[in-house]
Amino acid sequence: MATESIGETPTLFLRKATGLVRGWNVRDSIIYAVMATNFVTLGIYEFTFAGPAFPKGQIITSIVISAILVSFLVVAYSGLIVTIPRAGGDYVWQTRILGSGLGFVMAATGWWFILWLWAPIYGNILSVQLFQPLWATFGSPGGAAWFGTKTGVFVVCLITIAIAGVIVSLGMAGYAKLQKWCFYGGLVGFAVVVILLLVNNHAAFVSSFNLEGQKLFGVHNAYAATNAAAKKAGYSTYSMGFGPLGPTLALVPAMMFFILWPNWGSTLYGEIRGASDFKRVFTGMFTGLWITVILTIIFLLLVAKTVGWDFYQNLNSLDYNLTPQFGIWPYPFLFAGWLVHNSVFQVILILVLSLWFFGWVGTLFLSSTRVIFAAAFDRVLPDRAAEVSEKRKVPLYSLILMLLPAAGLSAVYAYSTTFRTYTLDATLVIAVTYLFSAIAVVVLPWRKPDLWAASPASRFKFLGVPIVPAAGVVTIALLVFDLVEWFSNDLYFVNNKDSLIFMGAMYVLAIIVYVTARIVRQRQGIDLGMINKEIPVE
Amino acid sequence: MRIFFATDIHGSEVCWRKFLNSAAFYKADLVVLGGDVTGKAMVPITEHTGYWQVTVRGETHRLETREELDAIVARIRNSGFYPAMVSPDELAELGADPAAVDRRFSTEMLSSLDRWLDMADGKLRGGEVPCILNGGNDDIFEIDDVLESSPCVSFAEGKLLDLDGFSLVSMGWTNPTPWDTYREAPEEQLAEKIESVARQVPDMGRAIFNFHAPPYGTGLDEAPALDETLRPLHGGAVMKPVGSTAVRDAILRHQPMLSVHGHIHESRGIKKMNRTLAINPGSVYGDGVLQGAVIDLDARKAKVTRYLLVNG
Repeated sequence: MATESIGETPTLFLRKATGLVRGWNVRDSIIYAVMATNFVTLGIYEFTFAGPAFPKGQIITSIVISAILVSFLVVAYSGLIVTIPRAGGDYVWQTRILGSGLGFVMAATGWWFILWLWAPIYGNILSVQLFQPLWATFGSPGGAAWFGTKTGVFVVCLITIAIAGVIVSLGMAGYAKLQKWCFYGGLVGFAVVVILLLVNNHAAFVSSFNLEGQKLFGVHNAYAATNAAAKKAGYSTYSMGFGPLGPTLALVPAMMFFILWPNWGSTLYGEIRGASDFKRVFTGMFTGLWITVILTIIFLLLVAKTVGWDFYQNLNSLDYNLTPQFGIWPYPFLFAGWLVHNSVFQVILILVLSLWFFGWVGTLFLSSTRVIFAAAFDRVLPDRAAEVSEKRKVPLYSLILMLLPAAGLSAVYAYSTTFRTYTLDATLVIAVTYLFSAIAVVVLPWRKPDLWAASPASRFKFLGVPIVPAAGVVTIALLVFDLVEWFSNDLYFVNNKDSLIFMGAMYVLAIIVYVTARIVRQRQGIDLGMINKEIPVE
Repeated sequence: MRIFFATDIHGSEVCWRKFLNSAAFYKADLVVLGGDVTGKAMVPITEHTGYWQVTVRGETHRLETREELDAIVARIRNSGFYPAMVSPDELAELGADPAAVDRRFSTEMLSSLDRWLDMADGKLRGGEVPCILNGGNDDIFEIDDVLESSPCVSFAEGKLLDLDGFSLVSMGWTNPTPWDTYREAPEEQLAEKIESVARQVPDMGRAIFNFHAPPYGTGLDEAPALDETLRPLHGGAVMKPVGSTAVRDAILRHQPMLSVHGHIHESRGIKKMNRTLAINPGSVYGDGVLQGAVIDLDARKAKVTRYLLVNG
């Protein structure tokens, strides 16, 4: 019997047994967290909206405030992960701690239904960060603009859904390697942008912008024209600084669009868990989150130095008012690439930076697959939903449940300009799911005292107060603040009637599915209420 | 007939207690524990003059009363670990001599199993509620005699048992793992072991395979992909099938009505393999939750009429 002693004076002896794995590499976890809080695909996409919507708010300050608050979410989720560490995530935590029905509704809405809306958002990001700049650089402004048309957006959404579907079908093994290379490649691309913005001055940027704007789009004196157009539209810019606090705080719910996801892919395996596991899980997510913050701040400071803060905001405001300069989304990396007057270089830079997208797109439906399979195994969905074809190893029915509604919603997204403004609905619904996980972590010591006592997370205290539930309280405060802002402030475009109906319909659908399953299974003699009922110990 | 099937409790005393109560809780006629009964880790509790010292999950405790000691012992047992009372000298010896650790592990495992069987005797009314156990790849062979001699449980390892007209075939052996555990055999040998019992089944339409290893490539056998140092690859995000091809082939060839498995804790799920319903209820024994499957069989139609995976 091969055994292993842990510690200089042994405190634990392990014998040879299945599943005694070592902790995974924290670097991998950091990469996932950075890709999930993707400052390129989500961050700068969001700034196009956030800057013009809240012109008096300070973006950098709001990002730092958001990240500090999301750090508490990281602590809360680290606690959940090391206490109930399997890969089921919110579904498992909520069903175990809060109850089956609530757990299903929150998981189905937050990790399945709302991903139907994320699909066209991903698609639109692919359109504006790859196809539009590529076609523009190829010298086809009309082609570039086509990708912003209704049909263009729809086609790219379908391409995105197809890519995500293929990745689900092929599994993560190959994609995980690709994702890592995308991360490193994306960092190289970003480093090139940093160097370009660092070594060039403002005058050089203005000159390049005017030159390439004329060459590619036929716009004369484009830099001044942009500022003039924004001014004519009534947009006033404010210089970069640290205040005022009110509008800056109003930016926090908008920043959640990219900064709320460091916990997206966190898992933990292994049965001999200790304090080091908590630290490892926390370090991965926390470091990933703050790397994103640092990259974002570097980018924004360089924009202020070389591009011009007012100009950047003016560019975004024109897009916000649906009159984008050059007729395409103002991709700042495209304009940074213009500092080198070489089309081949510009194309390569766009392609390299698109790795931020391709390393991220694979996560679109992975969580949905897990929820669908878990719900099918719990007999809430028909057994067929978890079927995988023997020949091709493709989860055909779960793919249908993900891809078809996503394609339908992509059509609505593409062909309705108002629906496109409900982008933050996608964040809101997941935030509600997070809210209930945060509630779960707060009540965990009371609801499952034995589980909590056995968890490494219960060891960590500050002034006698366990930090994980306390972090859950701060997370609840953050998410409630976000929800109040989203529902009360028109500028986020989520509190109008159609948007509320859209989101409400998802919750109604989840409730209908669950209640129907309870009734149907009851008729079959199966009591779904038994699933999480605890067997008495004594 | 209603069966409750659970597996892989790995020494967790709270899960064992729940298992003993599961027949009453789920109104089952029969309970089956599908292997890997024994724990994987041992926690030394050092006896000093006037106090005991123990480190649990990285936190060192100085215990000064018997009540404190009992509480921590219960906590260790509920986690699936074995508490081992040692003197400082014994601890030093264990630290220096792996063979001494092996011996102590065996002693603790067997004494724990004895205690568990005493508990079972009361709960199962001396065998009135049928309770079937078999080994798993992580179980040392010494447990076989202990289980075999128990009057309140049936040890099913490598046997064909008749359950009111249904045939239960049990096999705790698995295909090889990176940990080189006790009941492992290459696929060809495993296939022979399975066949030697399966060929005795009178009617496969009424057969239940209780094989610890799940069938390969069915989704019931997905474990984190590991590198050569047993570290999960890509942050644990990549899973790979690690089940047995011999088990898969046996199921597909014989088409029993039901096939229950364990071994891969992360792979809770259900798979229809032609006529056979294959189930792995998974295991989260470390959380003190007894995952299992409640399965109703229709004796007349010889089919599974209902099933539900539960987290008891």
